[in-house]
Amino acid sequence: MDAPVSGPAATADQRFALFVLPEVEVLLRVARTLTPDHADAEDLVQDTLIRAYRAIDGFDGAHPRAWLLTILRNTQINRTRRRRPELLDDPDRTMATVADTSPDGQSVEALVVGATFDAVVEDALLSLPDDFRRAVELVDINGLSYAEAAEVMGVPVGTVMSRIHRARRRMRDRLATAGLAPRSKR
Amino acid sequence: MRPFRHRSDRPMNCMQVGRRLQRYLDGDVDDLTARRIMRHLEDCRRCGMEATAYTEIKASLARRATDIPDAAVTRLRAFGERLVHEGPPPTEHDLPDETPGA
Repeated sequence: MDAPVSGPAATADQRFALFVLPEVEVLLRVARTLTPDHADAEDLVQDTLIRAYRAIDGFDGAHPRAWLLTILRNTQINRTRRRRPELLDDPDRTMATVADTSPDGQSVEALVVGATFDAVVEDALLSLPDDFRRAVELVDINGLSYAEAAEVMGVPVGTVMSRIHRARRRMRDRLATAGLAPRSKR
Repeated sequence: MRPFRHRSDRPMNCMQVGRRLQRYLDGDVDDLTARRIMRHLEDCRRCGMEATAYTEIKASLARRATDIPDAAVTRLRAFGERLVHEGPPPTEHDLPDETPGA
């Protein structure tokens, strides 16, 4: 009789095939939000797979996607650090950038005259601070849960939620300025 | 005499709904809260329009999901299967451990 693939008798290879391989597409989607270059995103997933393979013995089988997303994030941080040591993410600097960014910093009317709803949403998305945009890309575009996005971003779930809510509010304000949504009452 | 209403089942006002609206639209509130918000949205035109705006934003964002090319996924699956059969490549990827808790 075959050993159960998820039980303690399963081999590392069986566990890797069971837990890791089905998540390859999700890993690639997330990797593409972390790096704009598609080849680089594939390299990032490859490195993640290698590290997951090496660590599969110590993985308890609970929440494989969250486990893999954490490996992906750590791998990406390590790659970035090696390439650009001076550009490490500094939480204080990031928050300062967020605070300095006006939701309507650009000439919204000029950008959106005659534009469609989707075009205004895209414009608003591109104008968001990086951390806000990434949270939206992970949750609203790529369908991750708040908790999964928190794994990728290395922040608490509440932070992800707050970034997404504020990001959507900015999009909504842009749409209102463009006459494509009612004026906010708040 | 007005029928007794449990406190948690009382109608919400606009401010209470506004604070919870996005979580509601994400399906991230409990059933009772969802029912209270839903009732308010049915009665309050302005909050209803607010909810519609956010729903349309979420739909617009969902439409932006790009197709991941099958070829890339196939390449990566094949890479993963090679790991299973042949083990990881030597030295080039011999990088520091990045696993959780390591």
